[in-house]
Amino acid sequence: MSDSRDDFVIAFRYSLLKKGAKQKFSLFFLILFSILIITLDKLSSPPMNFVRSTLNDFVYRVSYVAGTPGKLITYLVLKTKEHLYIYNDNKFLREEINLLKKKQFEASFLKTQNEYLKSALDFEKIKANKNQTIRVAKVMTDQISPYLKSLLINKGTKNGIVKGMTVFSKNYLIGTVIETNYYSSRVLLITDLNSKIPAIVQDTDINVILSGNGSKSDFILEYLPEDFLLEPNKIIYTSGKDGFLKTGMPVAETYLDEKNKIKVKSLTDPQQALIVHITRGEFKN
Amino acid sequence: MIFIKNIKEFLLKSFPVIFLYILSFHNLEGASQFPNFTLFSFNLSMIVIYFYILKYPDYLGIGHIFLAGLINDVVVGTPLGSSSLSYLAMCFFTTYLRHVTLRPKMSSEWFTFIPAIFFSNLVFFMIINNFSNLSFYYVELLRNSFFTFLFFPIFYFIFHKVQMKPKQD
Repeated sequence: MSDSRDDFVIAFRYSLLKKGAKQKFSLFFLILFSILIITLDKLSSPPMNFVRSTLNDFVYRVSYVAGTPGKLITYLVLKTKEHLYIYNDNKFLREEINLLKKKQFEASFLKTQNEYLKSALDFEKIKANKNQTIRVAKVMTDQISPYLKSLLINKGTKNGIVKGMTVFSKNYLIGTVIETNYYSSRVLLITDLNSKIPAIVQDTDINVILSGNGSKSDFILEYLPEDFLLEPNKIIYTSGKDGFLKTGMPVAETYLDEKNKIKVKSLTDPQQALIVHITRGEFKN
Repeated sequence: MIFIKNIKEFLLKSFPVIFLYILSFHNLEGASQFPNFTLFSFNLSMIVIYFYILKYPDYLGIGHIFLAGLINDVVVGTPLGSSSLSYLAMCFFTTYLRHVTLRPKMSSEWFTFIPAIFFSNLVFFMIINNFSNLSFYYVELLRNSFFTFLFFPIFYFIFHKVQMKPKQD
């Protein structure tokens, strides 16, 4: 009994403290060092923030270069697919153009009517802030790990990016800036589990929280009233209740899946974004 | 000729280190880069660490594993040092196994990989839960761990072949 316990203790101690022939550090030392780094990172003191920011910038750049061959393969596959489906795409786009033209007429009519009604009600006309700057950034890498669905962009505090800024791709909201470094930033995608957006459902006054679930076609609407029946093809807009996002930005829409269940999907695929626009609040192209 | 042979030998001996750094920088989680194969995503870094610490401990220094973990944390966005500690936990478990195993067999090494993954992931979850506000996808992680375990023999065979090459030459 005591022999087996001694063997265990010896093997345990040997694994922790013994350095191999070509090992420079013992496992014990590195474990302690890791714990120290985790603690310092948690405390987030200014020197540690600076070290982290510098390390992030360096690693992101190298990661971007290391990921280039993989991106090239993905790009080639996508381009080949595009060429194969070009005829069907063309047909679909023509139909869509006709539909959009029709909608444009409707929209211009509604706009005129809206302006007229506003002036009738003597509402103050809200003008868009012309000084609002929109920054364009390139996506360096996208992370689809089980921990974070995020993008790394090549603009940082040097370019005026601050935490909480809104990120758009193809005029649709795709996420918010959660980490800034000098040359780079991290964008938390709306599909991430940690993303919570205050929203309202089209044609209703129901306030909900649009929460990511890891997939672009499976969002969760939290705090939806129990008796409320969600309908398909309804747009989910931002409600602006968080104070960061402006009101009325379309984010997602409801749809019927193969099992006839109503689900919520993103209006754009955040993972496919290559160029993004970063601003405070609403983005208009 | 000797020069080329030396370079070849150096590359083959440094293969695990280079490969681990590439994995950390690229965050290549198995086949997860290809949308149609996301179901089969697995943690290749864990397989590399487990295999080399168990079979060829002199080829993969724990200092490199620690650094690769730090890089992985930066790329993935998890608290700095969490992947390092998780990788080191895997190293510790593997080193312990190496010391207590008398007659190593591929099948037994494959099955001891289960507690190794469990132990390593446990350390990681504890850090994430206590040192950050991140929520993560339990089902995805479970699937990832399962496929990491499942694909181990394939990579065992590949890495074994790679490491046998310098000896054959």
